[in-house]
Amino acid sequence: MLGEDGLIERVAAGDRVAFGALVARWRDPIWRFVRAHTPTPALAEEALQETFVGVWRGASGLRDPAAFRGWMYGLARRQAARASRRRVGEPLDAEPIEQLGVAAGWGSEARGGAVLARIEDHDAVRHALAALSDDDREVVWLVDVDELSLAEAADALGLSLAATKSRLHRARLRLMAALAEGGTDG
Amino acid sequence: MAEIAQQRFVASLWCAEVLARLPDLVDGTLTEPDRALVLAHVAGCTWCERFGGSYGRVVGSLKGVADESAPADVAARLDALLDP
Repeated sequence: MLGEDGLIERVAAGDRVAFGALVARWRDPIWRFVRAHTPTPALAEEALQETFVGVWRGASGLRDPAAFRGWMYGLARRQAARASRRRVGEPLDAEPIEQLGVAAGWGSEARGGAVLARIEDHDAVRHALAALSDDDREVVWLVDVDELSLAEAADALGLSLAATKSRLHRARLRLMAALAEGGTDG
Repeated sequence: MAEIAQQRFVASLWCAEVLARLPDLVDGTLTEPDRALVLAHVAGCTWCERFGGSYGRVVGSLKGVADESAPADVAARLDALLDP
C-alpha cells in the first residue's frame, strides 16, 4: 500500500486512482470536521466536496508532502466557513487564563468533580464541544479529535505556533467549563 | 483578574504557573527541567494534581468522540464534478 507521501505525489501528477485512494482515506475525518463546523448536513456535504476539489486542483502546488494534513484541513476550514458564511481568522481573545481555569474547575472541588463526572459520557462531551465558539471548536477538533500536530493545526488555522497553542489551551478550558455546566447549549 | 483564593507556591511554582504549563505537560513539549518542576508542584499540590488529571482526561476523551461516516456517494459526486 502506497504511503501518504507517495499518494500525494501521484495526486499532484494528476493520478485519479491515487486521488480516489486519498479521498477514501480522508473523507470520514474531513466529513466529521466540516459537519461539526457547518449548520446543516447539506452545507457540510458542499464543504466536503469543495475541500477535495481543492485538494485535487492544488496538490501540484504543495511543495512538501509532509505539509499535506495542515494544508488540507486549512482548505476544509475555509470551505466550512464559506458554506456557513463565517469570517475566518477572528481576533484572539484576551480573557485571563486564571479566569478560564476557575470556570473549568481550577481550585474548586465541586466544579472539578462535575467535569470528571461527565468525561466518560460521549454525548456530554459532544454537547460541550457543540457549545463552544467556532474558533474554540476548530482548534480542539484539529488537535484533540483529529490529532493533528500543533504545527499542522497552526498551518490549517493560519496562525503562529504560539497563537495556536494559546487558543488551544483556552478552548480546552472552555470545554471543561461547558462540561462543568452540564454541556448544554446556551 | 480572578484568581483562586488560596493559590499555592509549591516546588518553586505558583499554581497559576502550572495552569499555564498544562498544555505543554499534556502534549509532552515541556523541557526536562520544566517538566520536573511542574511534576514536583503537582506532587505537593492536591488542587493542581486534580485539575491537571482532569485536564489530561478531557483531552484524552476527545480522541474517540466523533464516529460519523461521510455520505456514501462522495467519490461518485467528485468524479462527476471533476470529469468534464
